[in-house]
Amino acid sequence: MEPILSVKNLMVFFENALALNDFTMETGEGQITGIIGPNSAGKTTLMNTLSGLIIDMRIKERRRGGERITVYGQITYRGEDITEMTPVNRVKRGIVLCRERHPIFPESNVLENLRIAGYLKKRSRIKKIVNQAFDLFPALIHLKNRKAGFLSGGEQQMLAIGMALVAEPRLLLLDEPLLGLSPMMQQLLVEAIKVLISESVLTVMIAEQFARPVLPIINFGYILENGMLALSGTGKELMDNPEVKSAYFGV
Amino acid sequence: MLLGTLIYGFVNSCLLALLAMGFNLTFGISGVANFSYGAIYIFSGFAAWIFLNSAGLPYALCVIMAIGLSATLGVLIYHVVIKRVKGLALSEVMATFGLGLAIMELFRYFDFVGFKYTLPNLIEGSVAIGDVYIDYQRIAVILAAIALTGFIYVFTHYTRTGLAFRAIAQDERTALTFGMDSDHIAALSMGFGSALAAAAAVVVLPLGTIAVEGGYDVLLNALAVCIVGGLGSTVGILVASVLIGYAQTITANYLEPHWMMLVSLIAIAIVLCIKPSGIFGHQKELEERI
Repeated sequence: MEPILSVKNLMVFFENALALNDFTMETGEGQITGIIGPNSAGKTTLMNTLSGLIIDMRIKERRRGGERITVYGQITYRGEDITEMTPVNRVKRGIVLCRERHPIFPESNVLENLRIAGYLKKRSRIKKIVNQAFDLFPALIHLKNRKAGFLSGGEQQMLAIGMALVAEPRLLLLDEPLLGLSPMMQQLLVEAIKVLISESVLTVMIAEQFARPVLPIINFGYILENGMLALSGTGKELMDNPEVKSAYFGV
Repeated sequence: MLLGTLIYGFVNSCLLALLAMGFNLTFGISGVANFSYGAIYIFSGFAAWIFLNSAGLPYALCVIMAIGLSATLGVLIYHVVIKRVKGLALSEVMATFGLGLAIMELFRYFDFVGFKYTLPNLIEGSVAIGDVYIDYQRIAVILAAIALTGFIYVFTHYTRTGLAFRAIAQDERTALTFGMDSDHIAALSMGFGSALAAAAAVVVLPLGTIAVEGGYDVLLNALAVCIVGGLGSTVGILVASVLIGYAQTITANYLEPHWMMLVSLIAIAIVLCIKPSGIFGHQKELEERI
């Protein structure tokens, strides 16, 4: 099967610090891929590079004479080289990132947040997808008019994923969706992601440090350590791996 | 005297709201510091005057052209000046303030000083309310303030671009993940803010003469209203305009007219001491909760 996304020999430097070292991966249509690793493993850098945020960061840092950001390697999405493409054009092609730490607009209310997320969509379409987002997370419905900054962490994360869905992704990148949430809320979100996959043609990549809830639902996973690929395999293989067991499950 | 104070205080309040509207949209709502606001206001006044008196165009066309030209100037200032220092708040303020000074002092250098620089009233005449006479131009100020406030509210809450203004100001990177281009949106907000400054100029300037000093006063008043009301809050702008507007009119009528300018300065000082985010500043409210 032709991969929808393939990353070849990706290297990302912040000044002289190597954040991602020679990383290669690929994922097929409709697959769930996990990127597992501890803090500072390079998960967020990978997500920012795939979504193109790093291209924008590089421009802005250069403008104000800040940090020098360098990207080597190649990212191909549906046969097109997108390594140097701006985030806007990637969103237009269906690559949507949900950033880490509940990326919501705190001073706008929940409904406005969802409408903001539909920036590139037609008005009639936004209405329809916003309702789909409410179907997936019914808890948000009665919070519609509340300022997003006043929501709890779990509610904010539901909203954040809802917003990413309003942008109608074909490749959804989730950066640490479970961070800072209670185990119950983590389970709820994992279930929601499963529902999403079953209902539409969607390719998902999850970067996460909590392996336990994530490994059972992924098709294929990569384990990152210090910016380098340490291990890769199907979800089952990773779960059965003794090293993964001792590092992530404490067995 | 009392009825006069009430009516003229209201006119003054509307005038302040009108002056602050564009500044609030660019700086308060979308977070681009535009301290050349007063210069753009004066620029559009002189532009309209030149179109009218040197080119002899019909006044309605002059107004439209002045607004369009100011919007273009705003977009240009973003791309040439602000873009290079974006994200460095202090540099943004210094660069735009310096540019504003340059624009205003250039007008003075080229001798745009004197009583001949006036714009005609939209409609001549006046009307009496009780025993107070109020001219149609001041009524136009009231109507323009109401219309533009309504426009801004609808624009920032219900249109794609307006929502994007507010989104980028709150979290630029997250906004990028939904396909917004931060430079494009910031340039647009400069354009819109400058067009609003120009609109305020053609309504307000016929009440007096177009003077370079007016630019400084406009910036000071807009800043006072935004600080007192709370940056970015449309309701705050209205409340602050009414407070400062009436305070100024009462000072002028019952104390000394030349103390009027002090009112905005004192208002800024008091608010910064007591509630630095302004009466309706909501940033603080969220921070305290979290």
